[in-house]
Amino acid sequence: MSSAAEARFRVQAPNSLPRAIKVIALDQAAEAMVRQIASAGWSNTKFFTAGDRSGRGRLADLAGHETELTGEIADADLVVLVAAPGGRAEAAGAIGQACSDRRVMTTGFIVGARGAAEVELSKTLAQIRPWSLMVVISNHDDYISDMMIALRA
Amino acid sequence: MLRKEQNELLTQTAPGTPMGRLFRCYWIPALLGDELPENDCPPVRVKLLSERLIAFRDTNGRYGLMDEFCAHRGVSLWFGRNEQCGLRCPYHGWKYDVSGQCLEVPSEPEESGFAKKVKLRSYPLVERGGILWTYMGPPEAQPPLPEWEFIMVGPSHRFTSKRLQESNWLQAMEGGIDSSHVSFLHRGDLDSDPLFKGAKGNQYNLSDPRPVFEVVESPGGLHIGARRNAEEGRYYWRITQWVMPSFTLIPPRGNHSVHGHFWIPIDDENCWTWSFDYHPTRELAAAEVAAMRDGKGIHVRTAPGTFRPVANKDNDYLIDRAAQKAGRTFSGVEGIGMQDASLQESMGPVVDRSKENLVSTDNGIIMARHRLLRAVKAFTDKGALPPGVDLAHQKVRSAAVVLPPDVPFTEGARDALIARLETAPASI
Repeated sequence: MSSAAEARFRVQAPNSLPRAIKVIALDQAAEAMVRQIASAGWSNTKFFTAGDRSGRGRLADLAGHETELTGEIADADLVVLVAAPGGRAEAAGAIGQACSDRRVMTTGFIVGARGAAEVELSKTLAQIRPWSLMVVISNHDDYISDMMIALRA
Repeated sequence: MLRKEQNELLTQTAPGTPMGRLFRCYWIPALLGDELPENDCPPVRVKLLSERLIAFRDTNGRYGLMDEFCAHRGVSLWFGRNEQCGLRCPYHGWKYDVSGQCLEVPSEPEESGFAKKVKLRSYPLVERGGILWTYMGPPEAQPPLPEWEFIMVGPSHRFTSKRLQESNWLQAMEGGIDSSHVSFLHRGDLDSDPLFKGAKGNQYNLSDPRPVFEVVESPGGLHIGARRNAEEGRYYWRITQWVMPSFTLIPPRGNHSVHGHFWIPIDDENCWTWSFDYHPTRELAAAEVAAMRDGKGIHVRTAPGTFRPVANKDNDYLIDRAAQKAGRTFSGVEGIGMQDASLQESMGPVVDRSKENLVSTDNGIIMARHRLLRAVKAFTDKGALPPGVDLAHQKVRSAAVVLPPDVPFTEGARDALIARLETAPASI
């Protein structure tokens, strides 16, 4: 039943609905990368920056319009936190807590890690790890896009 | 999800394909040394990367790996006579040496020199660490011989087996870096398998069934860390190595041996699963080797005289629904190796990745595909040597360690992730 000939009898109907993904830049270096990724155009993904707003329960979209953190988290299937080594990733705590409260899956990305000092990487990890159910440390800027395609963003 | 053309690019390894050219950058395991046990022993058919080849060991102990079929009328040289430093086709007596050079064409006058004009495609075949390795790429680009730690230790420190897997290499390899399946599929084996049980690390596994994963790029591939809670706020890390294109090293448990795999394409719908155990600082005990031969740990019992598992798709992998129901095994299939193989083969020979629904914990798989695609493109466009060819990329170890909470595991376990002969692995 697992032969190549049998493969043509597999049901061809769609087997999933689109997922809602929210990508949040936690610091300036991450924001530049997130803006670049967003420019490719995605049907099921929204992009935000956090900065100091998350402490007030707010995010901002890439045009600078503020929005409620809890509202954005509520309809998310996955929240992706993006930070650079040594950046200000304090917002991870408030966002992560909101995701935890609503049982939303989180992935933490540390980008531009190649050549980063251990102390900087540790600092960012300390902020990201408690709130990420998956952490990815990538040397290549295009990985996030590939991951989002893989997740059907 | 992968688009259809990406899936085809990564899964097709025949000559001339992009991934086939990439695989041909590496020394790959071709046969167990035991398959050619003595000079002038019977030749062995072997298919690798969609090429049908014949392996033999000549009168002087030289190994040969060449086109399986006689240049005259296409007879399989598996029927050949291995005699006097050459393999002779039994049909009309054409004879070849280990380089594929035809030495004799009995029907033609020797003085005609016709035999010199006939040569079968051949590849080097070299014994190292009990394995016969081949390199199937262009001779001018042949890299140095492999130096994986498991083949550099003494024969009494290692055990290697291979088995046929009836699926494409990529879905088999992806199983090796899919750390999140262990908590389900293999949950019944940690405390019962003689090659795993008794390690303190098992308690961390069993007391924290929801590990958190971290994926970090390494020079040769990936470090995949699975993190669980340990005492005093620290983390227990199990760090798997993946080195391109298809080598994985599983973290050890206690003083048990370290184990890992190679997945080598036979053709696009079958692969060899190579499984090895080794210990850098001690010999394997007779009981351990006996358990490995009996299909324990990551090894599998195969039908006598073949490399096909006793449990296979024709007998539904001997699934035991009572054992499944009672929780003795999670899937009903016995043995870690066959638990993996049965599910991977059930996907079909080449899984349609355009229909899959990956989730965040699949980032190890996503990242591996990302790196493979990058490497294929860099090699195809610019001739860039892919990761994993460099001997430094092969000198890696998996590790099981406890670290403070904010330490990058690649820093905290930096020394533990490098293979240094005759030093103990980091294991709990």
